[in-house]
Amino acid sequence: MSVDTEFIPATSEHKPPHSPIDVSSKAFWTQTSEQRDERFARLRAEDPVSWQRPVEDAVAPDPNDPGYWAVVKHADIGKVSRDSKSFISGQGVQFDMLPPEMLEASQSFLAMDAPRHTLLRKLISVAFTPRQITRLDEQIKVAAREVVDSFAADPSGEIDFVEQCAEPLPVRLFCDMFGIPDRLREQTARAAGDVVSWADPERLGDRSAGEVIMGACLTLHGIAGELTADRRANPTDDLFTNLVQAEVGGEHLTDHDIGAFFVLMSVAGTDTTKHTSSLTVKAMTDFPQQREWLRADYDNRIKTGLEEFVRYASPVMTFRRTAVIETELAGKRVIPGDKVVLFYPSGNRDGDVFAHPERFDLSRDPNPHVGFGGGGAHFCLGNQLAKGALRALFSELLTRIPDFEAGEPDLLGTNFMRGVKRLPFRFTPEK
Amino acid sequence: MRIVVDRDKCTGLGMCEAEAPDLFEVQDDGTLKVLDEHPDADQREAAEAAVMSCPTEALTLVED
Repeated sequence: MSVDTEFIPATSEHKPPHSPIDVSSKAFWTQTSEQRDERFARLRAEDPVSWQRPVEDAVAPDPNDPGYWAVVKHADIGKVSRDSKSFISGQGVQFDMLPPEMLEASQSFLAMDAPRHTLLRKLISVAFTPRQITRLDEQIKVAAREVVDSFAADPSGEIDFVEQCAEPLPVRLFCDMFGIPDRLREQTARAAGDVVSWADPERLGDRSAGEVIMGACLTLHGIAGELTADRRANPTDDLFTNLVQAEVGGEHLTDHDIGAFFVLMSVAGTDTTKHTSSLTVKAMTDFPQQREWLRADYDNRIKTGLEEFVRYASPVMTFRRTAVIETELAGKRVIPGDKVVLFYPSGNRDGDVFAHPERFDLSRDPNPHVGFGGGGAHFCLGNQLAKGALRALFSELLTRIPDFEAGEPDLLGTNFMRGVKRLPFRFTPEK
Repeated sequence: MRIVVDRDKCTGLGMCEAEAPDLFEVQDDGTLKVLDEHPDADQREAAEAAVMSCPTEALTLVED
């Protein structure tokens, strides 16, 4: 939560009736992304900034929630994202309504505005500059090679891609950067996955969403607390040491600040890349000529390819802003307190910007997708690392086991992450 | 042609450096250094790509 501004409540004043083209139902978010895009396409054509009823089956419903504006066009997503004076993050950024204690424990600078956002983000952004990622390049390549080593020669020629390939690589890179010891890595990955799984019945089992999320946040805060204490005594060259030593406005970060920072980073740094690589092997199965085109000249074609991986997968589906200045958006009057939700997969299928948006086209150029956000101060900090990991991973896959086929992905049922839980993957084993 | 950086908008993410490493370099403290404020005509394409890539619209190309 922002400490700088007074909370502005939402109001139902000056609102049209809730849109009949509904994107708030639970059923809508359990469909495939192709099915969902049929409805987004209608909104893009008929009502690009629509007034919607509150999200159905929210984790922490608010009886006074009047609804939100759904922003589905590429241009409007960019406009809202870049105008952080009119559309702030400090009143929350999740589409779903979540318990305040969970948000407090997990959102860190994601749900802040300038100037504190700028200061906190900079503490970590210096580790993600192009030169820093170039320095990590060899480490990323070794990690990708070893992950593929673990299954490439398996005579069965069949794995669960998520468990054995997509997840281990970003988890390893994230844990290396933060200096997480081996004994805590599995626990870290599991908890990071739980933080974004609040609406998935299978992942929840007989626990409530609140229990799972808070349990995962406590686990991650516990790990952060242990490592923070250790790095105060034994500084090294990892990100925990940076955070312990950092000063913001002349003050050190509290343990709670560092814990929330760690929760945010653990999700942002592991989950998104995992889903992107899973959805990309599926896309390469559905568009085999694209796989061949990329393989034929990988080093020169992967740059445009990576952008298309992210556009086509669009793993992060929603973020929210709150209006604090009256603004007109696509002819609608948006007033202070109004929630404005950005639907990135819809922006990435906008036919006004992308020719044949339904096609997986690795030569697409330019490709101004909003998969890393619509621009502005909250644009994905880890985009270069994500691209580095994907570049290294697909180099290994397309060189060593290019003859692969992904089955149907088993998708996470949430309105936040287009997540893949399991993905059957068959390949001709390496000799 | 001259590159102008709006320091209030720049967050030091380095998208420009990824597009045009000969023109931009984010320093270890997170500030952006413009390596060549007056790029040659043959660097125009890279400079324009860098300007376009900036998520916070901190870069502009000014014609001299």
